[in-house]
Amino acid sequence: MKKVCKNWKQAFPADNIGAALFPEFEKRAQGAAAEVFRVKTAVEAQEIVANLAKFTNAKKAVIANSPLQDAAGINKKLQEMDIAVYTDVADIAEHAESADIGISTIEFGIAESGSVCMDGYAFESRLVSMLPPLHIAFMNTSNVVLGITEAFEIISKVYDNGYISFITGPSRTSDIERVLTIGVHGPSRFVVIAIDEEVVGGSI
Amino acid sequence: MEKNNRNIKNEIAEKLGDEVLRGSLGRFAEAYPAARAKAYENVADVDALREQVRQMKIATVAQIEKVADKFEAEAKKRGAQVFRAKDGDALKKYLLDLCQEKGVKRIVKSKSMASEEILLNHTLEDAGLHVKETDLGEWIISIAGHKPSHMVMPAIHLNRDQVAGYFSKELKQEISNDIPMMVQIARQNLRKEFLLADMGISGANFGIAENGAIGLVTNEGNARLVTTLPPIHVVIIGYEKLIPTIKDAAPILRTLPRNATGQLMTSYMTMTTGQTPLMVKQDGKWVEQAKELHIILLDNGRLQAAHDDKFKEIYQCVRCASCLNVCPIYTLVGGHVYGHIYAGGIGAILTALLNSQEDFDKINELCIGCRKCVEICPGKINIPGLIDELRSKTVKEKGLPFGVKAVLDNVLANRKVFHNLLRLASIGQKPFTTGNVIRHLPLFLAGMAKDRSLPAIADVPLRDRIAKITKQMVKPKKRIAFFAGCNTDFVFPETGEAVYKVLQNLKMEVVFPEDQSCCGKPLLGMGDRDIAKKIAKRNIIAFEEANADIILSSCPTCTETWHETYVDLFAEDAEWKARAEKLAHKFREFTSFVAEEYAKAGRLSPAAGNTKVTYHDSCHAKRGLGIYKEPRALLNATPGYQLVEMKDCDKCCGMAGAFGIKYTEISMPILKQKITNIKNSGAEIVAVGCPACMMQLQGGLDKQAPNITVKHIAQLLADKIKD
Repeated sequence: MKKVCKNWKQAFPADNIGAALFPEFEKRAQGAAAEVFRVKTAVEAQEIVANLAKFTNAKKAVIANSPLQDAAGINKKLQEMDIAVYTDVADIAEHAESADIGISTIEFGIAESGSVCMDGYAFESRLVSMLPPLHIAFMNTSNVVLGITEAFEIISKVYDNGYISFITGPSRTSDIERVLTIGVHGPSRFVVIAIDEEVVGGSI
Repeated sequence: MEKNNRNIKNEIAEKLGDEVLRGSLGRFAEAYPAARAKAYENVADVDALREQVRQMKIATVAQIEKVADKFEAEAKKRGAQVFRAKDGDALKKYLLDLCQEKGVKRIVKSKSMASEEILLNHTLEDAGLHVKETDLGEWIISIAGHKPSHMVMPAIHLNRDQVAGYFSKELKQEISNDIPMMVQIARQNLRKEFLLADMGISGANFGIAENGAIGLVTNEGNARLVTTLPPIHVVIIGYEKLIPTIKDAAPILRTLPRNATGQLMTSYMTMTTGQTPLMVKQDGKWVEQAKELHIILLDNGRLQAAHDDKFKEIYQCVRCASCLNVCPIYTLVGGHVYGHIYAGGIGAILTALLNSQEDFDKINELCIGCRKCVEICPGKINIPGLIDELRSKTVKEKGLPFGVKAVLDNVLANRKVFHNLLRLASIGQKPFTTGNVIRHLPLFLAGMAKDRSLPAIADVPLRDRIAKITKQMVKPKKRIAFFAGCNTDFVFPETGEAVYKVLQNLKMEVVFPEDQSCCGKPLLGMGDRDIAKKIAKRNIIAFEEANADIILSSCPTCTETWHETYVDLFAEDAEWKARAEKLAHKFREFTSFVAEEYAKAGRLSPAAGNTKVTYHDSCHAKRGLGIYKEPRALLNATPGYQLVEMKDCDKCCGMAGAFGIKYTEISMPILKQKITNIKNSGAEIVAVGCPACMMQLQGGLDKQAPNITVKHIAQLLADKIKD
């Protein structure tokens, strides 16, 4: 999968980053209507994904693979639930529009705003996070930076070409009478699953 | 240019009568300040952050060509095609040629004010292209055939019933007014558009020279789809959006969402550079290709502004539109009366620089100079200051209307004639009529008052009472020359007497230079700098001759005019500039000076009292001079009074200069709200530090709350001094 950077961790700073910042990130993300789950091991994440799939009555999932997701074994789990799982870019292009769930892994969270930073160079990583009504984003709990300033220090080291996004909660609008309405062009649900356990090659 | 026969007064009357607009803008204006403050709760030093934005933008505009060249080179290096469009016509031609060459039929757009500025959609549609705005608000106004009435919330002037009506018409089916349902219908309809589009057109919130990336913030996610799904992406970006480095995006992103919508970050922030991959279906098979990327850098007046010493300040704008949200005028009349595309104070300026000065001239008065916007602008743009610059540009080029000019030349520039006229007015005036008083007297004389009755001119002006109130001092602590200003001299001489009493009680010698006249601020508000210079020189001479330690005024507007405007006026006249500066250093505002002296004398400790008094901050004192603690300290130290704060204590009273007279219909609702806030505070007395506010509030109180009195702080202090 194409990426802006193959190893974002190399660009992480020594300070102002870490799991200690996770609670603040969680609070701010929830403030933006994101749903946040924190688990100790990748295996526990599997159950959360399974439950989300069950409760949304999902039939089809489009997934941009990552080592972290692989460690959680989510593809296999979803397939066992008779959910069609697409991971190839051409399949994602074909099915993202009609999929119920999109799953991907993000690079890091930002405590200041509750945002996550996504490497969106690959077309499929964008589609899975944009088109289905539910986007599940995996991350490592320790990959949380203090603020937007720190986030841009990382980005400035790795960003030469391609596509980078911050995602902060689900898609929303207040364009009619300033009434907040969730889920316009993007997902109406944005779920973050943060895994404490360090997975080898994780977060790529 | 917009049509020439606009009747602004009628347009305003229509908007003021539009209950949907008034209701939604009113609710928004009410909710906005708290939402913004909440969003900044985790920013340690907001002012330092704003300063960071400002400095970064100032440094950028100073080398805008270099930054643009770098941006272009980096974008090209990554496969983008960059076109520099001199104006809207050039941009449109490029785009139409491109559409023809590539066989583009369907276009999806995410929000771009620059494209609205040049009315791009009309051109595209006239060429037979299928164009859809995808931001919900933009889509609504595009099917309604309206212009945006706010830069961030383009459809804020419409309610759910109206939107449902437009949806029903557009989709040819009955749509109910349920908001979530309407949003879902928009999603379904526009999703098809995204998937079928041959081209996506986006704006840009910033463009990074370092790697040619553009950044977009949206809440709906439409910009992500516009930049991802169609095989061709066209970016329309104004030069003012360029920033040198990737890191420079951080201060913009820390302020823009917080100021615009009270969010810590929008749902989506997207940056893209180069030819990102996409999948397209060819002969039933998905194949990867590189996206075709075109970046159009739009000039349309921006580069000229970049090289103007004053107007380059517009490059500090991040288009958050927060200046609209706090503007007393915008929040009453909405965006459409501003004529072109950009609304509010910044909109008036952008209209002048990017559209036409003529369009600005028609609406130039819709700024009362209260500076609420300056206080919150992420780039710290002096919006009222730039509007004054534009006004003076018009006057310089075209002159004031003949009648007005003649009166100013013959009356205001001649102190004796002016003062004689004021004296005559005091004899001939009608009974004091509430709500009809005028803030800056010279404007009445300039024939601007129209159908208003005369202001209440005192029987005996302050200048004729000086001999009686002056005490001879043996070894005075300081010699103070008092600059009264028109209002204190001719309308509220009692305030002047109180000032004398307070200062003399402090063992200060007070003198009144007879040759002093109007400070000239009203003229500057009208854009006439030549006459203002004449008046300034006369005042400078009069106060040089007074040979005082301190020059003092009980009017913050006059004080600020002396502090800043006189010095600015003579920017190109070294001799007079030096003379103005010398006096400006000595010039003090009454409450801050007295608070300082009281503190030295141990008279500023809090005192108890039962009479509730509330304080109204004048715009010029609070945001011009930064004086708001001192008057409160004085009130707290005055025995017998209990200071209670009113809501929006520092919001304009609504009658700035010519504005309150010419646009009574806007001024009155602002005043009414102010009086309501005063009443709700439970105060019996409103204290002010500005005679102009005093005049306005007196008029309003007489009518709506006759049991509440308004007093200048000087009077409250003087009342406690035994003769």
